[in-house]
Amino acid sequence: MALRHDQGIVLRGYPFGEADRVVVLLSPNHGKLRTVAKGVRKTKSRFGGRLEPFSHVDLVLYEGRNLDTITQVSMIEPFHRLRGDLERVIAAATMVEVADAVATENEASVRLFLLLHRGLRTLDRTGVHADLVTSYLLKAAAVVGVAPALESCAGCGRSDGLDRFSFEAGGALCERCRTPGAYALRDGLTGYLAGVAAAELDALPAADDAFTGEAMGVARRFLEFHLERRLESLAVIDG
Amino acid sequence: MFEPPVQRLIDELARLPGIGRKSAQRLAFHLLHVEEADAVRLGDAIVAMRREVRLCIRCFNVTADEQCSICRDTRRDPSVVCVVERAQDIPVLERTQEFAGRYHVLGGAISPIEGIGPDQLRMQELVRRMDDEGIEEVIAATNPTVEGDTTALYLARLLKPLGVRVTRLASGLPVGGDLDYADEITLGRALAGRKEL
Repeated sequence: MALRHDQGIVLRGYPFGEADRVVVLLSPNHGKLRTVAKGVRKTKSRFGGRLEPFSHVDLVLYEGRNLDTITQVSMIEPFHRLRGDLERVIAAATMVEVADAVATENEASVRLFLLLHRGLRTLDRTGVHADLVTSYLLKAAAVVGVAPALESCAGCGRSDGLDRFSFEAGGALCERCRTPGAYALRDGLTGYLAGVAAAELDALPAADDAFTGEAMGVARRFLEFHLERRLESLAVIDG
Repeated sequence: MFEPPVQRLIDELARLPGIGRKSAQRLAFHLLHVEEADAVRLGDAIVAMRREVRLCIRCFNVTADEQCSICRDTRRDPSVVCVVERAQDIPVLERTQEFAGRYHVLGGAISPIEGIGPDQLRMQELVRRMDDEGIEEVIAATNPTVEGDTTALYLARLLKPLGVRVTRLASGLPVGGDLDYADEITLGRALAGRKEL
């Protein structure tokens, strides 16, 4: 049993025992961390406010048999503006939910951590760009190794005539490779998705209202298909 | 394994929150040794609570009648409603003796990550109360967590178009606390919500 230092972004937490909370974080070095914060639900807790979702924190952990106990927390970046309006909260919750779904324990997750960090920072500083979550979802798919083929056919690699999209086949398909059940996409949508996927999160091109809704739908369903789970945060918007 | 009647009680007690096998065993053996009348009284209290207590038809607080004592109290101000996540939050607010309006229990908070949306809470029931009761102000007294804050933002979006004033409980430093130990978010909010003296 020893003390160790780590850092992470708080993904979520849930009540544990009388006044404790299990806090799940994403650490660049150790992937998903499950920790216990003692007495954190009491109003006099010294570090309760620092362990809310979206906070980027520095931790001192006491290693336990099952869960590590947090003994000290200091804030690196609170991203406090994320809690200021509904659109930002839902976008941030989606980012965190995806990170939670793909991260594994005891496995370095530097790329995923950096993606989440950049996503939350962009959201905190500039607000919700209509394609920000779409871009994040496509980048998350790339991090886990299932980036959709958008600029060339997922079947044969040719780059023209991409008018179908298949979640199962892994992206856009040409006329020859189309599979039963492949969706017909509106002209220009794969190109739009490719632009959104390639751009940096904090330097996305101006959103085109004609495409944003459908682009989000394709990115979301693509990731849901490959993660084999529904993204609950986005379902809240639908509601 | 113990004798079936003892084991059955241990199994039931162990299903309660915060009670593990060992505690359940200790409680069961305690009840075995107390006066029979004491054990029967405990059993009766549990059965009576379950049979007699229901939710207030107006605010969803727990009550033994159709409406809870707060909703029945004619001295309370019907134009102000304090919205809380759980019925357990009501006695806590009542102890402050600072609030004389009525309550509304949502039954939880919006949690995008857990997939809990407004449809799973008593939002529509609250909207209906706006017209029926002539409510002028709604105080969002949800927890100062991401989920509670999200719920408060949703309440504002839902109710402001109806001409209702939506306010949020202030957050800041605990009385008797030390500035040194305050976290950045709490202290930031305390600064933003500072009061002129």
